[in-house]
Amino acid sequence: MSATAYGWVVLAAPLVGMLIIALGWRVLPGRSAGWLGSAAIGVSFLASVGMLIRLLDSPEESRALVSSAYNYVETAGFRADLSILVDPLSVFMCLVVSGVSFLIHLYSISYMTSDQGFARFFAYLNFFVFSMLLLILAANFVLLLVGWAFVGAASYLLISFWYRRGTATAAGIKAFVINVIGDVGLVIGAFLLFDATGALDYAGIFAAAPEVFAENDGKLVAACLMILVGAFAKSAQLPLHTWLPDAMEGPTPVSALIHAATMVTAGVYLIARCHPLFELAPTAADVGAILGTATLIFAASVALAATDLKRVIAYSTMSQIGYMVLGVSIGAYGAGLFHLMTHAFFKALLFMGAGSVIGAMSGIQSLDRMGGFRKAMPFTFVTFTIGALALASFPLFSGFFSKDEILAYALERGGLYAILGVVGYIAALLTAFYAGRMVFRVFFGASVPEAQELERGQLAHGTHANPATGEEEDTDVGFPGAEHHIAEREWPMKAAMAPLALLAVVAGVLGIPGVTDTLEHFLEPTFEGSRFAEVHPSTSAELIGLAVGGVVAIIALAAAYRYFTGDPQARVATRERFAGVHRVLINKWYFDEIFDRAIVRPVAAFGRFGRTVVESAIVQGVLVGGTVGIVRAGTSLARSIQTGELRFYAALLLMGVSGLILYFLLVSS
Amino acid sequence: MIELAQVVQAPKIDYQGLAPLFSTIGGSLAVLMIGLFRGRFVQRTLVPAVAALALLVAMGMTIANWEAGDSRPIIEGALAIDTLALFMSMLFYVTGLATVALSLRSDVQREVGAGEYMALLLGAISGMVVLAGAENMVTLFVGFELLSIPLYVLSAGYVRRAHSLEAGLKYLVVGSVGSATLLYGLALLYGATGSTDFRAMAIAIGDTVAVTDPLLLTGVALAATGLAFKASVAPFHQWTPDVYEGAPTPITSFMAVATKVAAFAVTLRLFDYALSDAQVQWGPALAALATVTIVIGNAGAIAQSSLKRMLAWSGVAQAGYLLAGVVVGTQLGLQATAFYLAAYLFMNVAAFAVVIACERVSEHGDGIESLRDLGRASPLLAWPMTIAMLALAGFPATAGFIGKFYLIEAVVAGDYAWLGIVIVVGSMISLVYYLRVIAVMWMGRFEVELPSFPPRRVKAVAGRSPEADARAQPEVASVAILAAAATIFFGIVPSPLFDLVSDVGTSFGGLV
Amino acid sequence: MDTSWYVVLSAFIFCIGAAGVMTRRSPLVVLLCLELMLNAGNLALIAFSRMLGNGEGQIFALIVVVVAACEVVIGLGIIVGMFRRRLPIDVDQMNELRG
Repeated sequence: MSATAYGWVVLAAPLVGMLIIALGWRVLPGRSAGWLGSAAIGVSFLASVGMLIRLLDSPEESRALVSSAYNYVETAGFRADLSILVDPLSVFMCLVVSGVSFLIHLYSISYMTSDQGFARFFAYLNFFVFSMLLLILAANFVLLLVGWAFVGAASYLLISFWYRRGTATAAGIKAFVINVIGDVGLVIGAFLLFDATGALDYAGIFAAAPEVFAENDGKLVAACLMILVGAFAKSAQLPLHTWLPDAMEGPTPVSALIHAATMVTAGVYLIARCHPLFELAPTAADVGAILGTATLIFAASVALAATDLKRVIAYSTMSQIGYMVLGVSIGAYGAGLFHLMTHAFFKALLFMGAGSVIGAMSGIQSLDRMGGFRKAMPFTFVTFTIGALALASFPLFSGFFSKDEILAYALERGGLYAILGVVGYIAALLTAFYAGRMVFRVFFGASVPEAQELERGQLAHGTHANPATGEEEDTDVGFPGAEHHIAEREWPMKAAMAPLALLAVVAGVLGIPGVTDTLEHFLEPTFEGSRFAEVHPSTSAELIGLAVGGVVAIIALAAAYRYFTGDPQARVATRERFAGVHRVLINKWYFDEIFDRAIVRPVAAFGRFGRTVVESAIVQGVLVGGTVGIVRAGTSLARSIQTGELRFYAALLLMGVSGLILYFLLVSS
Repeated sequence: MIELAQVVQAPKIDYQGLAPLFSTIGGSLAVLMIGLFRGRFVQRTLVPAVAALALLVAMGMTIANWEAGDSRPIIEGALAIDTLALFMSMLFYVTGLATVALSLRSDVQREVGAGEYMALLLGAISGMVVLAGAENMVTLFVGFELLSIPLYVLSAGYVRRAHSLEAGLKYLVVGSVGSATLLYGLALLYGATGSTDFRAMAIAIGDTVAVTDPLLLTGVALAATGLAFKASVAPFHQWTPDVYEGAPTPITSFMAVATKVAAFAVTLRLFDYALSDAQVQWGPALAALATVTIVIGNAGAIAQSSLKRMLAWSGVAQAGYLLAGVVVGTQLGLQATAFYLAAYLFMNVAAFAVVIACERVSEHGDGIESLRDLGRASPLLAWPMTIAMLALAGFPATAGFIGKFYLIEAVVAGDYAWLGIVIVVGSMISLVYYLRVIAVMWMGRFEVELPSFPPRRVKAVAGRSPEADARAQPEVASVAILAAAATIFFGIVPSPLFDLVSDVGTSFGGLV
Repeated sequence: MDTSWYVVLSAFIFCIGAAGVMTRRSPLVVLLCLELMLNAGNLALIAFSRMLGNGEGQIFALIVVVVAACEVVIGLGIIVGMFRRRLPIDVDQMNELRG
């Protein structure tokens, strides 16, 4: 089979899985929907491996293959084939996405067992993975957009999976709305590109771009900024990040899948994919780098103060993706994607561990309530700690090599980028500190009752309630299932976490400075035209960077250990001393409030306004409202344009005519 | 006598080209006569069957007449057929067939009388066919009225219900104001160009008449208003929600689809053919109307509790998208509009069929409540509705997506890129109300917040339970399923439709 | 006499009709005003026809007369229907459908 044939299999497997589960959920017995879904993703992964092998067999210069199933749209102006692009970048992404997704599916089989919507969950999961793979394999912007929109829709479905939870549906809608903002941006960006280059496929656009656009051409910068809007909305970067923490309302495997390993990395992938454009528009690339850096420091600081375990990990995800965005925006493509991969491993692992802990706490997610799980859950403890160490870029763990490669590259570029690199090191300090905070607060200290009970061999069962609001819930469809499941007792969960833990430790060998550069070498064909291909930090510089990063991580972890396992009084004292800072952090820098005031409310007001413009503004607003004041006008705004009055309709019609005539007469003179 | 014969010359008539029209008009008269017999078989089976037969025959003959390219006259100086006319006629017949099926069990048929009902329906379709093939302002006006007058009657079809009468009278009065405006506009155009013939007008404009002639432009403004009214383009859209709500639902669905197709067929012909040389003048004005329409339509559709009203407002927004295709005055725009009209037909027929099916058995009537938990009760209806809503919102892999894409491409190519952005933003806003319908259907068993709606008593169709009723309307369900299937089919394999519309694009010779 | 006077007159009649539609509450009078609007169009058509010296406008006007008659018939039919339902014959009270 050729590489592209494997590519089609990669896409087809989850689609078939989704269709079978969606159509046959009534008849599929027991957990079979879960196994079926996992098998579909497993096939995808194997096919991705097949692509990899085929690609490695072929000579380097012919490692970008396009295959068209058929021509989807062909009109006078443009072509948009249903075609996939198989090149090292897409193969790499497919491997990461399908591999991690497969493990998460496996994990979900246990985690979701008692949920009434078990089959529906796997149908959604398969749909999501299909959309994500479509996004990755698309060879043109049209198909990319299709995948992009599908991913947004799937994430909406998954976040509001427990759809009777008001907080979950609200979070789903929020994620969807922000994703739609991103979609609009991407659509506009694609149109600007199409308008200028006359092509929609990557090859065509990238080939035409240098001829059509001058360096930093206004139109190109605009297009790239629009692409960035799309990328940032998907990747939860400032200022479009607010949906990600709320999205933690979804089931934990969803968080692991969407909000750690796959969907949120789509933006990074997109920037890397469009690198020829961003290199032609350095201004846009700089905007990306600066915003990425802002996100990484902002999110790391918020993660310090957040008390919800999953939200801490969510902010950590934002922060880590900030590193990746920084990397791919400054030309460190290999490093950025390397970090994308290691992050997928350790972050999925952290979420799975968190899911296990939350299961043990019977749904409670607050760090304040946790403690002392070390003995009760040894397996989770070990794996979670491995994940946290990788996150903290503790020496020799995978995150250690990948993160520092990005920062070393930033320092090498110098100037502005060096400053960004330094900020990255500061954030690394914070990262190690909050990674330590999670581990020490969950697994160390005095055992909470749930942990004690678990040590005695029983699993605590609290009341069923919404962790965010405390509202009581039943266990029917639309709410979480009756049973909680933890990794310690379920082999599929262990089977999913163990490989990830292993990878979180050893994945760094793909890019040890001076020793290996396997990944970078593999990705080279995709990025060979890059003007930054020659920029490369020297091995010694990278080693120094690694040393600095390692020292930073160790110091921060040690500080966290002292702080969080030491005297609780001291902690309270510290928090009080920095009450102002703490308040800002705990309120996420007041981002939601600003977002609400600046965007959500005006849009809502506009919606109300739209229905009411004419009648109330003219008749009620001006005549009545003018006399009885603004309050009256405000209420009358809620009245509708659609009065039901025949004579008013006729009058409006004739007013419209007069307006049109007036316009035409003005034109004629 | 000999002299007189030389002066008065009968126009050449191409009877083969005229045959589809004979079929619908003949069918109209036939059902009127057959409907005089009061037997149950005649009323319930024979009359609809004859009406459907007339439409099928007309379809067959239209296909036989199909020939790509420029127009050829069928009644010299009055009617012509070109691919645009043939394509649009096909859309009318398809809608007509769907309406016949949707009306089968409707009580409005009993109230009006099956013969009269079908005769009026076929009459309206004949008017649309005339309108689509008009090559003369006189024929245009005749077609326009021939389509409108039966619809006034049908809107008031429930003669014993206040709502229906109100809808009928409103439609009549506002519609007549629209007709009168159109007529006055046509009169001014006649005065300015010296001819009622489109071809002669097209030649005269820019040649003997300046494109800035005030008489001409006033005429354009008035004629545009009349047509915009029929197409429910804002600010001439206000009758739409009221009439759609009050009219019997099968008629609403017919009006929503066929009338809009007819209005755009003639708008395309008048603006992109007869007046195409003055495009610089009317382009910006129509673009502004399109923008206003998209904004108002989408704003109005939010927070509607009646599905019919919601679809009416959404129809207003869709008219805005369609108008964008007219604005650019290019061949691509013509093709895109034709494509979107076909897509629009399938999406709306599917949606209305589901509304009809649910309205008949639900105590909530056409309120959005009637769809609550449809996904569980009757997935065969819920899926078509889901597809229709997604397609109307322009979701990928549906005909609505490709149609919008095509339209946006046309406006961008025609130097109205900002209008493309308006379309994109409009579709994004529209997700709010389309997705709500989907949420109600699939999650409606639980707390989806809905506006309250007074319940009403319903006479069950099958007489046992809502579930049995839903099963007892196979013709409505199959219309919904077929239309939804077509929506998906043309979303995934659009090339057959593309081939058709690229033929349509060749209708107007002079267009670039 | 110059044709433009006829056109101006027809415009006046059109506006009178339009004003009537907007101001009168009885549907019967509204129908009369609609007639005025249509006949304003007729007058313009015939005037232009004379000016241009071809018969097209006059034929058009004849057809419009027929159409106008049809419209009025339908309108009267609906008004009779309303009367039999004992609904108020007042366009201002027909505002059940709105929103």
